[in-house]
Amino acid sequence: MNYTLQFGQVTEFLPYLAGGAWLSLQIAFLAFCGGMVIGAFGAMAKTFGGRVVRGITAAYITFFMNTPQLVQIFFIYFALPDAGILLSSYEAVLIGMTLNAGAYLTEIQRAGFQSVHRNEMEAAETLGMSLLQRVRYVIMPHIAKVLFPPLSNQYILMTLGTSMAAIFGVEELTGRAFNINAETFRSIEVFSITAVFYIALTLVASMSLGLAGRYLFRAKMRLI
Amino acid sequence: MPQLEIVDLKAAYEKLVVLEKINLNVEKGEIVSLIGPSGSGKSTLLRVLIGLLPPVAGRVRLDENDIDYANKATLRMLRDRIAIVFQQYNLFQNMTVLQNVTIAPTKVKGRPVAEVTEEAKELLSKVGLADKFNAYPDELSGGQQQRVAIARALALRPEILLLDEVTSALDPELVNEVLDSIRLLAAEGMTMFIVSHEMGFVREVSSRVAFMSDGLIVEIGSPKVVFDAPTIERTKDFVGKILRH
Ligand SMILES: Nc1ncnc2c1ncn2[C@@H]1O[C@H](COP(=O)(O)OP(=O)(O)OP(=O)(O)O)[C@@H](O)[C@H]1O
Ligand SMILES: [Mg+2]
Repeated sequence: MNYTLQFGQVTEFLPYLAGGAWLSLQIAFLAFCGGMVIGAFGAMAKTFGGRVVRGITAAYITFFMNTPQLVQIFFIYFALPDAGILLSSYEAVLIGMTLNAGAYLTEIQRAGFQSVHRNEMEAAETLGMSLLQRVRYVIMPHIAKVLFPPLSNQYILMTLGTSMAAIFGVEELTGRAFNINAETFRSIEVFSITAVFYIALTLVASMSLGLAGRYLFRAKMRLI
Repeated sequence: MPQLEIVDLKAAYEKLVVLEKINLNVEKGEIVSLIGPSGSGKSTLLRVLIGLLPPVAGRVRLDENDIDYANKATLRMLRDRIAIVFQQYNLFQNMTVLQNVTIAPTKVKGRPVAEVTEEAKELLSKVGLADKFNAYPDELSGGQQQRVAIARALALRPEILLLDEVTSALDPELVNEVLDSIRLLAAEGMTMFIVSHEMGFVREVSSRVAFMSDGLIVEIGSPKVVFDAPTIERTKDFVGKILRH
């Protein structure tokens, strides 16, 4: 092999890549927040809903958990225009990732609902706490603590998942890496630097989430 | 005038009738122990008294006032005056020892934090946990957790304390520290209902012992009578069996 590594040519693109990383972060964050909202309603629907509501929620989860995310976004991007709904590639990716996350986050949050100890609720009741106080002081902190680690994991997975956006021409981190690669043909340099960016994104996310978890919930979380 | 009157009390889980017809008067400062075979309804009686299971029939009177277990305001008043400690402690895992004890007085009763904290520290010191204020429940032994649960119940300044097998989840060497805390309360004149398998302890602290079987109080009397000279055949069998252990 006589490939000589030449990072010099690529380093001038670092700010450009950083911009892409910023966009990746945005997509992951927005999709995660949207997914959390969907997930909260989904979890309530599955826990407290009637048969029809539970059925609809289950169908939604089954669909999004059992088809590739890429196909889901393809559907939104290419099939919806036929139905008169035109979306930019950025919007399609964001909506696709949000809906997909919603399914996973429904399941995660539902597990949190189920993990509340009946005993603690009873003790709270005998101490005279109202239902609202019990939710506020017993259920919420408990759910938050139980859910924090799996939610952090989901967030990390989603950060990596944003690279799919490149396929649709969104210029996030991977998209911009493609662009630089096409210009310089320095594939090894470009993609190894890109990998470092991803590692930085996820390490920073998981370390700050881990620290927050330790501080907020005494969750025994590993930082890496 | 009895502090607590239980009249023809009946309770059931769905269709399963667990308390048939309970009658019992308790004077202020009395310590009544409930003994009896597993499933006889001891825990259920305590759960009804504290309002976790609404009775099907009968009455409970506190200082001559009927308790309406369907009324939320009455329930809140009731839980001001009666407290319960469970076998499994049921501490709030997300709170420190001190927070476990202060949460109800501050959030439910709205008392000033500083005053409640001071009082909580005193209570915790009294049960031997002066060095554990900031520990979390999962950092404590079972006996320590149970003593926190007792302090938590006492923080509401109850007039009547219900104790449901508070030592039976503990290792033998931890039992005594919890019993000591209860002895202290007994000496202070707290009215108590005690469900316990510690027969030596029951005999020592009880004003009266009630033997329950199949949802009825079959026999009730001083510890001396119930343990040494029971008049009913079923009590004899039960007491004979336990004391032989
Ligand atoms: N939550 C519940 N739902 C349905 N049945 C119950 C429930 N709790 C208790 N029971 C039943 O009620 C009866 C009395 O139970 P209880 O717990 O009052 O007995 P106990 O005297 O406290 O027994 P133990 O000494 O084992 O604690 C038992 O037959 C039990 O199976
Ligand atoms: Mg019991």
